[in-house]
Amino acid sequence: MSLRGCLTGWLAVRRDLPRGKRTVLTILSFLLPLLLWCVVSYVPFIWHPDVKLTLAANTERMTAVFTAGNRVSKDYFPKYEEAIRLDNAEILNAQASKEPVAGAKRANRVLLRQIAPVGIGNGWLKPGQEQDDSAIYRIWKELATETKTAGSPALTAENLAIVKSNWALLSEGSAEFDFAKLPESPLLKLIPQGVPSNPVYLPAPDEVIRAAMADFTAPRIGENPTMLERYGYSLRIILLGFLWSCVIGVPLGILCGVYDFFARLVEPFVDFFRYMPAPTFSTLLVAVLSAHDAPKVALVFLGTVFQMISKTTRLLDPALLEAAQTLGTKPRQMITKVVLPGIMPNLYNDLRILLGWAWTWLVIAELIGVKSGLTGFLDTQGTFRNFDRVFPIIILIGVTGFVTDQLLALLHGVFFPWAGKTGPVSRAVASAVAWPVRSFITLTRRINAPSDLP
Amino acid sequence: MTTADTPEYLRQDAAVAARFERLKQRPVALSVRGLTKRFESNKGIVTALENVNFDVHNREFMCVIGPSGCGKSTLVRILAGLETASEGELLVNGTPVTGPCPDRGMVFQGYTLFPWLTVKENVMFGPRVAGRSRFSAESEAREWIELVGLSKFENSYPHQLSGGMKQRVAIARALANQPKVLFMDEPFGALDAQTRANMQAYLLEIWKKVDITIVFITHDLDEAVFLSDRILVLDANPGRVREAVEVAVPRPRSFDQLADPMFMATRRHIEHLIHPPRAAETESFPVLRMAVADPDVL
Repeated sequence: MSLRGCLTGWLAVRRDLPRGKRTVLTILSFLLPLLLWCVVSYVPFIWHPDVKLTLAANTERMTAVFTAGNRVSKDYFPKYEEAIRLDNAEILNAQASKEPVAGAKRANRVLLRQIAPVGIGNGWLKPGQEQDDSAIYRIWKELATETKTAGSPALTAENLAIVKSNWALLSEGSAEFDFAKLPESPLLKLIPQGVPSNPVYLPAPDEVIRAAMADFTAPRIGENPTMLERYGYSLRIILLGFLWSCVIGVPLGILCGVYDFFARLVEPFVDFFRYMPAPTFSTLLVAVLSAHDAPKVALVFLGTVFQMISKTTRLLDPALLEAAQTLGTKPRQMITKVVLPGIMPNLYNDLRILLGWAWTWLVIAELIGVKSGLTGFLDTQGTFRNFDRVFPIIILIGVTGFVTDQLLALLHGVFFPWAGKTGPVSRAVASAVAWPVRSFITLTRRINAPSDLP
Repeated sequence: MTTADTPEYLRQDAAVAARFERLKQRPVALSVRGLTKRFESNKGIVTALENVNFDVHNREFMCVIGPSGCGKSTLVRILAGLETASEGELLVNGTPVTGPCPDRGMVFQGYTLFPWLTVKENVMFGPRVAGRSRFSAESEAREWIELVGLSKFENSYPHQLSGGMKQRVAIARALANQPKVLFMDEPFGALDAQTRANMQAYLLEIWKKVDITIVFITHDLDEAVFLSDRILVLDANPGRVREAVEVAVPRPRSFDQLADPMFMATRRHIEHLIHPPRAAETESFPVLRMAVADPDVL
């Protein structure tokens, strides 16, 4: 395609775009939101209203206690820094007086641990070593003597000076960690450091991917199921609920469509019931069915069954029923020979859409009684504000729903080639599936056919 | 009555007269006696059909024609058993019948093929619901499909066929039940003129080959005259039999006969029955008040 061809013809009024352009747009429609997410996450000046602490310090001048990884707002961070500087000024005065301060050793041990996030960030400490005082002591020493330089997070010149000044005091006591030999006067606090960041509810893509990798590969710990087990559990609830509602709803819907008797008997109540949201029954369901899978399955069932008793059967062209009558179809054959095959594609589509709905009910169902499945995890992590672990679950549910839906839509063409909406892919699948069956039938026919027939 | 007094459409030549003589000798396939149909509407009771009487002989081709609203569709639906008559009775081969039954086939105007079945399976439908084995039904269905010339499409689905082909399948499907009478409710009404003409020729071919009595509803005068032995002309409001016109156009029919004096005379007669010519009406046509082109240009 020429450059001109690439640039023109995108906006044609009421006309379908050519295949190439459609594909490009389909890809873009997924790529654009991702791109937006990346831009907001990785380009600092777009948004980043917060500062994520890489180095925290405690002070009594502030009401809150922060640790590395916490977020403070951009406006608040300078005040926080200033508070620590004021603390340090007081500490310098105390150091100058050379008088021992009560409890200074204990406070100093805690203060030394301030460097731990830097150690972990640079790979000098393993996670879990945050209170390994001798290792931490070594880091102070190595930073002060410049045998090691912090890369990520790096130390500011101000903090490096503080490290050196503190080490001067520490090295007077001992070269290795020894609680008894910690200085009697207070050490300087490291000034808090941080990087611009987005609010906690918008983790960056790489954080989400890392959290997802960690969560999905995490082994089973005690009673805590693995993510795959949770996923399986959720699928089981949704499928059970959906299956029950198919078993009850579909036949009832067909009966209502065929016999006015059932329609008049069932539909008024069903139409009313539809207006009662399924979640309103949650506590009742737990009371009746006790708090295990049963109330969850029942909630999915309640949410979908009344939608299944739909008017699909009535959409069947009545002329087909009349034609069948004139061909000698008896009333009892009517449902199996005409109604069922006739409504199948519409019914199938209805069920496909309802399966999408079922996911909505599942999310609520998993929160009633004992929390379970994917939503249980979602709820727990949400409470701890671990949103990087929440996003993968949301995306997983979305992808599952989308993939199932697209797959079922594709299979529509396989199951109902006569409906005339078959795309090239499903036609190929259909012929591939049908080929062994068809060749088997022709083969048996050839064997069974009397010789006088063509 | 002298020949000069006889209207032209009644002047049957000897061969045609002899053919009608033979036709009337044949047993009556379908007999309609005192058929009346009333509907209850919110404006009160509407009489759609009133005391309709006629006989159709074996292998006769009868068209039913009439102004719109004369109840021709209602009539054929009652005959096919899809609706019940308020009064009167319907005899097939002398036995009264009610309700739909495979001995009376029907071809509808809309394409009522079962979309989930292939052409072959559609044709097999009647025999299959009657309990015939798949094997015998299938080989028979093939013959019917061949008769309507669709052997190449026996495994196609209806959505892959054109309108004309669909109606041919519908005819084959109705015939597969081997009915005594075939009712056709404006079967070619939705087709374009070209296809329609082809289908008319097809239908006559099929009718010639198959032992079948046809009652054909139409609103197309040419179609009625071209196809039928007799034309039942209905009046509207209420639907009553106006006249059963014997078509004196000799068989086999061809499209060349469309310009035949006999064809035209019959057509004109029926047209007058349906739309009686009124002198006053022609006078009252609005006059176009526009600058008409100069006479010399014309």
